[in-house]
Amino acid sequence: MGLRERLVRFGTARPRPFVVASAGGTRARLIAEAEVRRRGWREAGSPAETGLLVVCGDPGAALAEAIETVWRDAPGPRARVRLPAEASAAEARRVLDAAVAELADVAAQHADAQARITAGPWNPAAPDDGGDTSAMDHDMDHGTGHDRGHGGHEHHMMMRPGGLAMAEQEDDRDGLRLDVLHVPFGPVLRAWPAGLRIDTALQGDVVQLAEVTAVDTTGDAPYWDGAGVRRRVAGRLDSAGRLLYVAGWDGAASRAALLRDGVLDGASGDVLGPRFAVFARRVGRSRTLRWMTGGIGRIAPEAAERHGLAARHGGDVAVRLDGWLSEIAAGLPRLDEPASDRLELGGESGAAGPLAVLPGLLEGEGLAAARLIVASLDPDLAGLGRADG
Amino acid sequence: MAESPVWAVVALPLALAALAWAAAALDAVLGAASAGGTGSGPGPGLVRACGDPLHEAVRLLTQQRRRTLMADRPLTRIGVVVLPVAATLAAVVVPLGGRAVADLPVGVVWFNTMEVAVWGALWLTGWGADSAFPLAGGYRFLAQGMAYELPHMFVLITAALGAGSLDLGEIAAAQDGLWFAVWMPVAFAVYLVSALAMAFWGPLGHPLGGDLAGGAALELSGPDRLVFLAGRYLLLTVAAAVAVPLFLGGGAGPLLPAWAWTLVKTCAVLGALVWARRRFPAVRMERFMGIAWTVLIPATLLQMLVVGVVVLD
Amino acid sequence: MQPYVAILSLAGLVGAVAAAVHAGTFLLAPPGTVGAGPFLSGARPQEHAMSRYHVRWYAVTLVFLAFDMEMVFMFPWALVVASVGAKAVVEMFLFLALLLVGVLYAWREGVFRWA
Repeated sequence: MGLRERLVRFGTARPRPFVVASAGGTRARLIAEAEVRRRGWREAGSPAETGLLVVCGDPGAALAEAIETVWRDAPGPRARVRLPAEASAAEARRVLDAAVAELADVAAQHADAQARITAGPWNPAAPDDGGDTSAMDHDMDHGTGHDRGHGGHEHHMMMRPGGLAMAEQEDDRDGLRLDVLHVPFGPVLRAWPAGLRIDTALQGDVVQLAEVTAVDTTGDAPYWDGAGVRRRVAGRLDSAGRLLYVAGWDGAASRAALLRDGVLDGASGDVLGPRFAVFARRVGRSRTLRWMTGGIGRIAPEAAERHGLAARHGGDVAVRLDGWLSEIAAGLPRLDEPASDRLELGGESGAAGPLAVLPGLLEGEGLAAARLIVASLDPDLAGLGRADG
Repeated sequence: MAESPVWAVVALPLALAALAWAAAALDAVLGAASAGGTGSGPGPGLVRACGDPLHEAVRLLTQQRRRTLMADRPLTRIGVVVLPVAATLAAVVVPLGGRAVADLPVGVVWFNTMEVAVWGALWLTGWGADSAFPLAGGYRFLAQGMAYELPHMFVLITAALGAGSLDLGEIAAAQDGLWFAVWMPVAFAVYLVSALAMAFWGPLGHPLGGDLAGGAALELSGPDRLVFLAGRYLLLTVAAAVAVPLFLGGGAGPLLPAWAWTLVKTCAVLGALVWARRRFPAVRMERFMGIAWTVLIPATLLQMLVVGVVVLD
Repeated sequence: MQPYVAILSLAGLVGAVAAAVHAGTFLLAPPGTVGAGPFLSGARPQEHAMSRYHVRWYAVTLVFLAFDMEMVFMFPWALVVASVGAKAVVEMFLFLALLLVGVLYAWREGVFRWA
């Protein structure tokens, strides 16, 4: 037993946290990401490969359910910690320490695994109680779950292996009848706008239909629109980093995150300027990146205007990234000035515009291009609930 | 056909594993460097990052497996295990200090065969999970195969043509004085690209892309993930190791013994391949396919024609 | 050791290591296998993912096959070029040129672009 505990301690000493944020949890996410980097950990690409879930902000019912779902499927040893929206860096440190201790607690993890064995594997016909949800949840789900299981089994037994339907066919744009998969993107997805869910119908990897939903937006003040150029420059760096991650360029993405945290930590523009210049040169001059991001997600100027988008949203993915880079370059020398919407670093014109154009932009695109398009608009859903009343 | 000693059968996988380990450590160090080189614990962040592969291996070893609903477990498991097996078997024809573990006269064809087994492996891994993102990731790799495989085979044949042999040892020996990399630069460059593609690494790692939350490997955890990732690093290592007899003169070099030169050159190529991941974004096949067929294939064929004409003289 | 004995024993060795990894997990990890749903960003699936996938690049596979068959000839060809002489080079590259005409046609038809 001694050996097992020592090995588990060694393995969990550098866990791979998966960070998920609510729409209003941007600040907490930044703190969590900075702390993860300070420890030299690497973030997981999906919650399926890790047992450590870091929930940032204050999830509402829908996001909490999504988190519960991936938590239920996470391999043990597992630990779930939450960082409230107004958490401090010290709190992040404490919370991650606690998570490591929880992961390394062999006896508790063993008991958790035994409980999951008793609960059995996930079954689409049964109500989805995570094994450790309260009895009240169970009662509430009971009626619908029972009905679902009943109907499904009686009529389509042969068509529903494992209690789940097979893909059905639909016409595609070219009139071919093809299998359709319904695949939601978000809200629990890395480098994805917090609180955004896009339900897609896919044929192969082509998005045939995209439906945008805002998940649990409560009208928190958008973090990036806060006072000062500093905050807005950091916001652009955050967006650029996420776009670069989606573009499969991890190295540039983590450099952007490093610069972002430097800006937020109050470093001066003189210090950050040269470092940003190196980054911007590498990213801006990458022919591969231009080749991969050019020509997709194109928004014509008049369409941008019609949907109430800022002018900087025009163009394709490559143009929008270039726009961010030049906005950052312009903002770095005057980080401590108050932000003014008349300057280039205008605040978000609200997420409503980007959300309105997204379905039209995504339909007909491949999965990879679709994700790049979303990342290039990077709508901040924090203020959405407020705008909608 | 020279017979190899029994110890070589044990030494080869050990050497491969050590190199694969080094590749993973280098990747961790480069990753830590782009994240600012921080990290708590003993030593500076970059030194500390060297231990990442060990921590990650133990983390996965002590992690539960997961099984998605109605997953095809035999297919997934075959897919996962084939990766390290194919990579190791591909390495048997690499001459280490003058002799390969299995000195096949058709070594180039053998290497090619093992590398194509990866197509099946990755697709099975993606398909078997019964999950939408891995499925898309698996198909991405098949498209990638359509793009890189022909240029890859052409450059293999170009090197074989230059030496008049399909035996990697003889190909290395034929580069007496002048490396193939020097007078077949196009073939060497294309080989490096196809090496990235066959190990679905870095810019050609889209089948495991972050935009699909991990693509074909998304649903793997614990031991499955450990074997899968080890297999990928082994593939990268083998791709680097084969470049040495094909283009870099094998074990030839001053002062050091042949095995040492083979090792040094392999490390250099492997380091370059690992570094490429930090340097380039992912390449999507819908855009790369056209270049592969209209630029890479004609370029490699021209290279082969040049080599053919030289060989005639 | 005979080459194929060496190959078989290596395959066995790697397989054994993979099995040892699974055995190690059995001993070290929390018990049981997690019976999960497919990862869908926190949602549950509406249908099985295993389906007839829309392979948009299927036309490329046909062109690929034509070339791939041709590879079977190229491996032995590489060995005899020096002894057969110019005839071998001319014949092979005429053949390749024919195939390349096919590629040109496919390219003109937009086979290699599908986005």
